[in-house]
Amino acid sequence: MLKIEQISKVFYPGTVNEKTAIEYIDLTVNDGDFITVVGSNGSGKSTLFNLISGTFPVTGGKITLNGKDVTNTPEYKRAFTIGRIFQDPTKGTAAQMSIEDNMVTALYKGMKGLKITLNASKRGYFKEELKQLSMGLEDRLKDNVGLLSGGQRQALTLLMTVLSRPQMLLLDEHTAALDPRNAQIVMDLTTQFIERYKLTSLMVTHNMQHAIDFGNRLIMMDEGRIILDLTAEEKKSLTVQKLVKMFKSIKNREYASDEDLLTT
Amino acid sequence: MLEGIFVDGLIFSIMVIGVLISYRILDFADLTCDGSFATGAAVATMAIVNGTGLATALLLASGAGAIAGVITATIHNRLKVPGLLAGILTMTMLYSINIRILGGRANVPLLRIETLYTRFPEIFSMLSNPWALLVGTLIIVLIVKELIDVFFRTDLGIAIGALGSNEQMIVSMGIDPKLLKVIGMALSNGLIALSGGLLAQYQGFADANLGQGMVVQGLAAIMIGEFLFDSNKISLITLRVIFGAIIYKALMFLGRYYGYYINLTPSDLKLLTGILVIISLIVAQTRNAASSADARKKALRRNKERREALDKEAGHVEN
Repeated sequence: MLKIEQISKVFYPGTVNEKTAIEYIDLTVNDGDFITVVGSNGSGKSTLFNLISGTFPVTGGKITLNGKDVTNTPEYKRAFTIGRIFQDPTKGTAAQMSIEDNMVTALYKGMKGLKITLNASKRGYFKEELKQLSMGLEDRLKDNVGLLSGGQRQALTLLMTVLSRPQMLLLDEHTAALDPRNAQIVMDLTTQFIERYKLTSLMVTHNMQHAIDFGNRLIMMDEGRIILDLTAEEKKSLTVQKLVKMFKSIKNREYASDEDLLTT
Repeated sequence: MLEGIFVDGLIFSIMVIGVLISYRILDFADLTCDGSFATGAAVATMAIVNGTGLATALLLASGAGAIAGVITATIHNRLKVPGLLAGILTMTMLYSINIRILGGRANVPLLRIETLYTRFPEIFSMLSNPWALLVGTLIIVLIVKELIDVFFRTDLGIAIGALGSNEQMIVSMGIDPKLLKVIGMALSNGLIALSGGLLAQYQGFADANLGQGMVVQGLAAIMIGEFLFDSNKISLITLRVIFGAIIYKALMFLGRYYGYYINLTPSDLKLLTGILVIISLIVAQTRNAASSADARKKALRRNKERREALDKEAGHVEN
């Protein structure tokens, strides 16, 4: 599905602010994978997502999507395959437009034509879809999205993202800005949609328990590299304590080897 | 006299709908219109003088405006400069081009030539002259309004609206935002030039300076309209723009007509327009501040209630 080979990203190269965000990462995501991604702040999780979706170009390396080299493909073209949800609930919807206008824009990918497709049967379909959120949004089709709460907006974003049936879902801490109750609702919807539409997914989370509970694979990032890649089998017996311990031992090993380098 | 204000306001309202598309719908601070308005007037005038039909003249005028819009959007897209700078560049270049279009002159009259405004009294011969002009203009404005309303209900129009509200969303939907900007800017400046083409025929001449200060006048009209009523429906938004344009022209008429009592001269009208925009901005801001203060209070109350509910629950558990 997605193959990342030796990609790297350096910000502001050649200046005093030069910063390496991603250091030669290799990652193969198979069809149907649901990978949770953990790592501390600045470990490169969001940068990795930005590179996969094409928000900014890679400094080096190659990205292959469905067997096609997309390394230089613009973001809007990759969006045909990839649906992305951000931490900020305002990023996925247009606040000054009604729910139905937002949904009609999200219905299919690609350039829009001069047709009026928003009709009674579309509205009925939108209502049915909105009912799944059980937030009462099905009665508010004409309300501006700006009037919704963060949780409602994020749930709507999720629904809108899967409306066009992408093959892949990138979830960038999409529940982190919500209160616990809404986070739970959005997370439940996420797993429902992933199962129903068989979406290959990557989910960044700061919640270690979520990282363990969800998905069939777990990767941990640190300083722009993937330092841990656990299979479903290895995840089964995993606990938060064990995960933290693993992280610490990897870090220690690195420090130790750095010291070795200095002493020898 | 009164009909004159309405004709003036209605012609102006087509320009304001153009400004609405760039400023409000696309969120693109576009200054091209100071140039493209005069371009529309110049192209329509020269086309009529050279004997093309009236409809062809207006089509050519809006086509020229649309090209100006495409140029601004392309400068913005390709060179990645802010829309404001791209618009200023096109506007400045258009000043020279407009004089070229007018055959090297700054002013070309449309005297003793058939224009829309000599045709209207013939078409509506049952009406008196001023009323015929008003009805004719009103029909054109209503057609334009209807077309714009329909356009912004199509998938493409809705996507252009979404672009102004959230560009990331458009990218996520697999649409090239650059292309949408080009389409939106072409539409906006096409309307602005159409308005210029009508005005040239109404006042009987085209002038290279016709577009000066159009942006600010357009913004003033939009803001006046926004005070009238609140809506997210495109048909009501264009309607209030038309009302705003007419009210603006009426205010300016009053300023011109009665201004001399307080020593106002016509050259003060630009100052008045600017002050009008500033006042509108202040009123809008205080309104916003009031409503967000209200929202903040409500949020605090909700928070408190949630806190209390949680405390209660915790108390139950402990017990």
